[in-house]
Amino acid sequence: MNDVRVAAAQVGYEQKAYWRNPMAAIFTFAFPIIFLLVVGGSAGPSRVPGYTLRYDQYVVVAMLAFGLIAACYTNLAMVVCTRRDSGVLKRMRGTPIAVGSYIAGLIGSVLIVVAILTVIVVSLGLAFYDLHFPYHPFAVVVTLLVGIVTFCALGLAVTVLVPNADAAPAIINGLYFPVVFISGVFYPLAQGSVLARIANWFPIFHMIRALVSGFEGGPGSGLRPGDLAVMAVWAAAALVFSARRFRWEPRRPKA
Amino acid sequence: MAPESDDTRSPGAGSPVPGPGTEVPGPRPAVEREDAELAIRVVGLTKSYGQFVALRGIDLEVRRGEVLALLGPNGAGKTTAVEILEGYRDRDSGEVSVLGHDPARRERSLRARVGMVLQECAVDPYLTVVEALTQRAGLYDAPRGIDEVIGLVGLEVKAGSRIKTLSGGQQRRLDLGLALIGDPELIFLDEPTTGFDPSARREAWDVVRDLCAEGRTVVLTTHYMDEAQALADSVVVLAGGRVVATGSPDTLGGRDQGMSTVRFAPPAGVTLADLPLPDGVEARLRAGFVEFAVPEPTTALHALTRWALDRGEGLSGLAVERPSLEDVYLSLTGDGATPGEGP
Repeated sequence: MNDVRVAAAQVGYEQKAYWRNPMAAIFTFAFPIIFLLVVGGSAGPSRVPGYTLRYDQYVVVAMLAFGLIAACYTNLAMVVCTRRDSGVLKRMRGTPIAVGSYIAGLIGSVLIVVAILTVIVVSLGLAFYDLHFPYHPFAVVVTLLVGIVTFCALGLAVTVLVPNADAAPAIINGLYFPVVFISGVFYPLAQGSVLARIANWFPIFHMIRALVSGFEGGPGSGLRPGDLAVMAVWAAAALVFSARRFRWEPRRPKA
Repeated sequence: MAPESDDTRSPGAGSPVPGPGTEVPGPRPAVEREDAELAIRVVGLTKSYGQFVALRGIDLEVRRGEVLALLGPNGAGKTTAVEILEGYRDRDSGEVSVLGHDPARRERSLRARVGMVLQECAVDPYLTVVEALTQRAGLYDAPRGIDEVIGLVGLEVKAGSRIKTLSGGQQRRLDLGLALIGDPELIFLDEPTTGFDPSARREAWDVVRDLCAEGRTVVLTTHYMDEAQALADSVVVLAGGRVVATGSPDTLGGRDQGMSTVRFAPPAGVTLADLPLPDGVEARLRAGFVEFAVPEPTTALHALTRWALDRGEGLSGLAVERPSLEDVYLSLTGDGATPGEGP
């Protein structure tokens, strides 16, 4: 009970810290929105092969995914690495706070960020690119939630591989940029291409495909259980890895 | 806080470890009985990092309400010892009891009663001073007042400022405030005044004295001998992972029984042989001053000053010096005491 109250308060402090740090907001909001306006705005009325969406509409959905990854994976990992290096995490661990309350505060704050991002990006799509309001809003919300869990888990997991805060941007982005480029974030993948087959192993492609499905007017619920399952496997693996190897303290010789 | 059932045991039993005969029936309690006298008890504590032996079996007792200073050169094991007591590190062997808990279990009920300032100054730069203290206060059942703590560490003018705009010394003071917000019984301060200017150090010392006056227990590590001299009730010197001396700052290492050095400038034309020195005492000339060491200076001084008065002269620059805490510390932690693979 008390832990829940503490977690709720933590969400508030995490939100304050988030919005006061311009770098985090730029990566999460400015990049996807600029890409959306530039890439989407320069696209012709062509359709994306394999989808019913137009290319510019597809970019709206892809940028939603891109922003979500920035908020959950990149930003969360950077925050954790910075706080670990400066000793904030170690210090928190010396207080009576429950680990769950602290992590819940971080993830709750990410949820708010993704909700705001979703509203902005989808609104831009509705206003400028004739995007239809999702035909399957439930499928979109479920996919976003699975995406948040997956990429937060991956964000926590990647901190295990980061030795110190100086190395954090290189490792965090270095692992993720190649996957972004082959996963159809900036341009749709030709089905059956070599890249598509590689991207098939990673969660980003599946999140985009599941999100697009919610925006398309097909029959059924719009849910794509197969795509969600791939994301869930990544999430589970990342959570197990983090639970075993997560470090609260900087890696530094102590005497 | 009340040492619940301590009076049910035989008084003056000495050993805080419950004997087999006095064990309470039923399931073994997770928390061992709290000692009424001691806040911390450590016996035979060892810790190695791979090949490096950081602690070679140290014993330590900290009485409730006292300030204990842990001294020692870099690498002596101070931080390792403190971090084991704080629950950050597991020990290899030995008994450790902190307020009746084994800190390695990392129980929340213990963490709620302990405050700490670590060597790294660790505060989120984007929150304000008041926000950081309010956040931390929310983690405790009965925290101290935010304004009270801000006043205690002298950050009134910065209360509404973001932490990243604070100077290093101000951040360190906030760090201390964060350690105190939970109203802890026991406070660990790991080199709390490193980087402070002299007046900030004096203010921090006053804070520590106030804590002590309130009956709290303080364990501090420091490199500054004057800090230990000013604050500590007892001092433990670590070197090479061993306790090489314990005592009060005034008696450490036989400081109170050490030799006193008498020094003065001899009157013109006087040689060492002319001086009325006690038998067996050898004086020497150094930088124009006569110096000699005696266990107890009263007699020697009496003879010396009478001799000078009889001659109608003074002894300019006359001084009697006892070994400073720093002298004792340096002799304890010098070549003789450092690792060199003991037995």
